[in-house]
Amino acid sequence: MLQILIQGLLLSGLYALIAMGFTLIFSIGRVLNLAYGAYLMVGGYMYFWVSQTLGMPKLLGVAVAAVLGVLMGFLKYRLIVKTLKGDHVAVEISTLILAVVIQAGIVLVFGDSSKILLPIVPGVINVAGASVTYNILIATLISWAILLGLFAFVRLTHTGRAMQAVSMDAKGAAISGIDPDRINLITWGISGALGAIGGVFFASYTQLSPSMWVAPLIISVAVVIVGGIGSILGTLVVAHIIGFLEVIVVATLAPELRGVFTMLLIIGVLVTRPQGLFGREEL
Amino acid sequence: MSYLEIENLSAFYGKAQALTDISITVQPGEIVAVVGPNGAGKSTLLDSIMGLVKIDGDIRLRGHSLVGRTPSEIVRHGVGYAPERFNLFPYMSVRDNLMVGAFTARDDIQSNLSMVHSLFPRLEEREGQETSTQSGGERQMVSFGRALMTSPELLLVDEPTIGLAPKICHEIAEVLRKLNKEYGLTVVITEQNANFALSLASRIYVLESGRMQTSGTADELRNDKRLLEAYFGGH
Ligand SMILES: Nc1ncnc2c1ncn2[C@@H]1O[C@H](COP(=O)(O)OP(=O)(O)O)[C@@H](O)[C@H]1O
Ligand SMILES: [Mg+2]
Repeated sequence: MLQILIQGLLLSGLYALIAMGFTLIFSIGRVLNLAYGAYLMVGGYMYFWVSQTLGMPKLLGVAVAAVLGVLMGFLKYRLIVKTLKGDHVAVEISTLILAVVIQAGIVLVFGDSSKILLPIVPGVINVAGASVTYNILIATLISWAILLGLFAFVRLTHTGRAMQAVSMDAKGAAISGIDPDRINLITWGISGALGAIGGVFFASYTQLSPSMWVAPLIISVAVVIVGGIGSILGTLVVAHIIGFLEVIVVATLAPELRGVFTMLLIIGVLVTRPQGLFGREEL
Repeated sequence: MSYLEIENLSAFYGKAQALTDISITVQPGEIVAVVGPNGAGKSTLLDSIMGLVKIDGDIRLRGHSLVGRTPSEIVRHGVGYAPERFNLFPYMSVRDNLMVGAFTARDDIQSNLSMVHSLFPRLEEREGQETSTQSGGERQMVSFGRALMTSPELLLVDEPTIGLAPKICHEIAEVLRKLNKEYGLTVVITEQNANFALSLASRIYVLESGRMQTSGTADELRNDKRLLEAYFGGH
């Protein structure tokens, strides 16, 4: 029981970080960024290259991954989203194509066998009778710190409030002097950084492989569909529903079924509550 | 040179033309009203000034053309807008809605906020309330407040009395007068309620089907019986 609680909290914290970059873009740009999983993959591989291939400090690896994530976000917005402005289907198809192209690039550079990331912090700790790796514990704590920072940024700064404003009423934001283009660019950058850092943690939780972009994308899509929103608090709540569901399924049924129930949850929500559990547009 | 000069303005939604050849001038410190029935093009006119609609013709503020500028640049030029449907941020508090208005005028936050609170004490009492739970009158106040937080010299107000009780209309008129007299704002309002426009504005333009029908001082139009009957149902 306690084991499930602890595992659930840890996994959900990581899922919240992963999904947050995706829901931000959904909330502000109204785009389902199907290349989002590729940010995680590139972040994970970049961390692997800097910290394991080059043997540089791990923190530097995380920083380089984050910077690359920001750049990918900027480029994606400028080259694809802005160019295809307003055509959602075209944007979403191009993002999916982009993900496949990035996957091919990763195979070309790193080969297609999967790679094990060394734990960011090695060792195991005993939390109230349950054993937890430092790696996961640290990943979750950092995820929470990043999410808290993001929450404070969005609520307390002019730029953060402008992001909320654009997500709630584009015309209202424009007549308040906000340039939606700049806010979108900033949001894509933040999303890229969140994805890349989430990718480092996700890869150290599972492994690096050229197909690792799919699972986190499904988690992110699930959070948007189940929540029906792109709000920070809503993302936290739904990430916990999905994280706990997975941990409970693994512990009581079979590990192979972990993703299946997330899919069933998506379908269940689509059928019974297509607007999502919360269904209001805010950040 | 007038303060605001609109010259041969035409506005389009795709191929559909909503305004044809509109010319308007506004002197500094004036209150001007644009009156016309539903669908006349009043909102389109104000949206055009804000850079929200595709237009032909010229719009100049203090001699500088606003054509081709983004809404954000036009706000920085000193134009504040309280639109017809308010376009508030529904899940933000009253205070956060006002703070979004301060996006381009960060040095004036304290003075603008105290001006807004002295005009609308209710907004200070309710500053934590989400605007999605407010009445129409309260939202109108937030909308005015948000526009004032941008530090405007020119205030555009789209149908301020629509759907509001007579008592609140009266309060709105008072606020607009005060903004004009005490704070020196130049004001352009649109109205279907002709009496409201006549009581407030010094000059009036009458718009119908996207074309300018006539214009004149409030006194001239008050005495023009044919016009009153045509547009204001004879009241
Ligand atoms: N977003 C829009 N797309 C297409 N047509 C519009 C849009 N907004 C307004 N119109 C049309 O433009 C004309 C003027 O509308 P509007 O400016 O809203 O008039 P008013 O504010 O005087 O009621 C109307 O014929 C209306 O149908
Ligand atoms: Mg209108």
